[in-house]
Amino acid sequence: MTLEHLPSAAPSLARLIQELNKLPGIGPKSAQRLAYHIIRLPDSEARDLANAINAVKQNIKFCSECQNLTDASPCPVCANSQRNREQICVVEDPLDVLALERTHCYRGLYHVLHGVISPLNGIGPDQLKLKELFPRLADGQVKELVIATNPTLEGEATAMYISRHLVGSDLKVTHLARGLPVGGSLEYSDELTLSRAFQGRQEA
Amino acid sequence: MAPPRTYRAEALTLKSAPLGEADLLITLFAREWGKLRAVAKGARRPTAKLVGHLEPLTLTRLSLARGRTLDLISQAETLENFTPLKSNLTAVTKGLYVAELVDGYGSEAGPNEPLLTLTLDTLTALGRAPEAALPLLHFQLRLLSVSGLMPELQCCVECRRPLEPGRHRYSAAGGGVFCPACAAAASAEVALRPLSLRALKVLRLLARHHRPALLPPLTLNEPLSLELNALLSNTTQYWLGQKIRSQDFLNHLAHSEKTLASAKKGNDN
Repeated sequence: MTLEHLPSAAPSLARLIQELNKLPGIGPKSAQRLAYHIIRLPDSEARDLANAINAVKQNIKFCSECQNLTDASPCPVCANSQRNREQICVVEDPLDVLALERTHCYRGLYHVLHGVISPLNGIGPDQLKLKELFPRLADGQVKELVIATNPTLEGEATAMYISRHLVGSDLKVTHLARGLPVGGSLEYSDELTLSRAFQGRQEA
Repeated sequence: MAPPRTYRAEALTLKSAPLGEADLLITLFAREWGKLRAVAKGARRPTAKLVGHLEPLTLTRLSLARGRTLDLISQAETLENFTPLKSNLTAVTKGLYVAELVDGYGSEAGPNEPLLTLTLDTLTALGRAPEAALPLLHFQLRLLSVSGLMPELQCCVECRRPLEPGRHRYSAAGGGVFCPACAAAASAEVALRPLSLRALKVLRLLARHHRPALLPPLTLNEPLSLELNALLSNTTQYWLGQKIRSQDFLNHLAHSEKTLASAKKGNDN
């Protein structure tokens, strides 16, 4: 959406709509609704929103160790001496760290790739935080690398790329179990998911 | 009479992209319809029933409902998952390269059964022999053939005389092989490149076989493989009119494999 498409809106309002329209999942109508909502907000709330956007852009950086987004480097997880430093879990995205932390079943460290290898989109290993991963594994302190990329074609390709680079090392490389989601249905599962669920079956 | 609201298709998924909050926009190459794009509603939710069937490089039987702009996928059943292909990084990268070319060359105007058959055969061949150079070379040459863009390999494209052994040149823009005399007289615009006699023989061999499974078990040495790869990817890219994005990662893998192999050789010595 360009300013020319909003001839009847005031220029500052049109600009806000245009900027909101650039956000993922926000179409032109949603952008207009959000802009009018912001106009109707009390001054203090609108300023808080603007300040929060400013602060996040000024303060957020990559953790020097795990590459997660943080406002203090190293991040709270990497700085926590109670975490198991022999395990690193590789994830695609900072949101994956939050999802895994919510499980309370993993106490190791993380490494955030900020994407996956996606040949069709021209994204290769050099565009990811992969070159920061391999030096972390070099000193022998890490005993297990848990690859937790998504079970998509691109996630699997990234996992294979990492595993291929670690062939011959003493590091134990594992990946999260594949199979049926909780609440899922056998009848509608695809063959690959079912066969992987079978391969990973456990004693009841 | 209005066309029916729903229809069926047997289709290979070429790629998928996120759409909105939880949907996927799927690009398919269907046996009955050619290239089409459709939406899988809610496919990015963890309990989505469709998503496993709609991974790229999966052949599925689909039910679709016509939409105002894009059709909706209502049911999907996997027919062929190409598991061996997806279990090997080199094979899956080559498979994605194939999918990108089919996406580029495939038409939305109607079905193209020869192209779908060629693609499925190539994916099967890549799963069987991920490191072999021939299946991908064969695919690229046959892709040009089924698209009506087959380069001339028997006669000189200028003088039309049968090619004798000699220092031939090749041009994607010129439409095939130039004999030494015509190459010397050709303008710079046709961008000639050297073509070895062995490469010409391999190209003719690939052109003779319609299916990758029927190719003889030929192993190409590295310089010949590089020459043919460069020639065919240059030609497919020329006719496509845009860069093939998966090419970079394919080259990266080939380079890293070479580095790993030489490092291993060094360790063994």
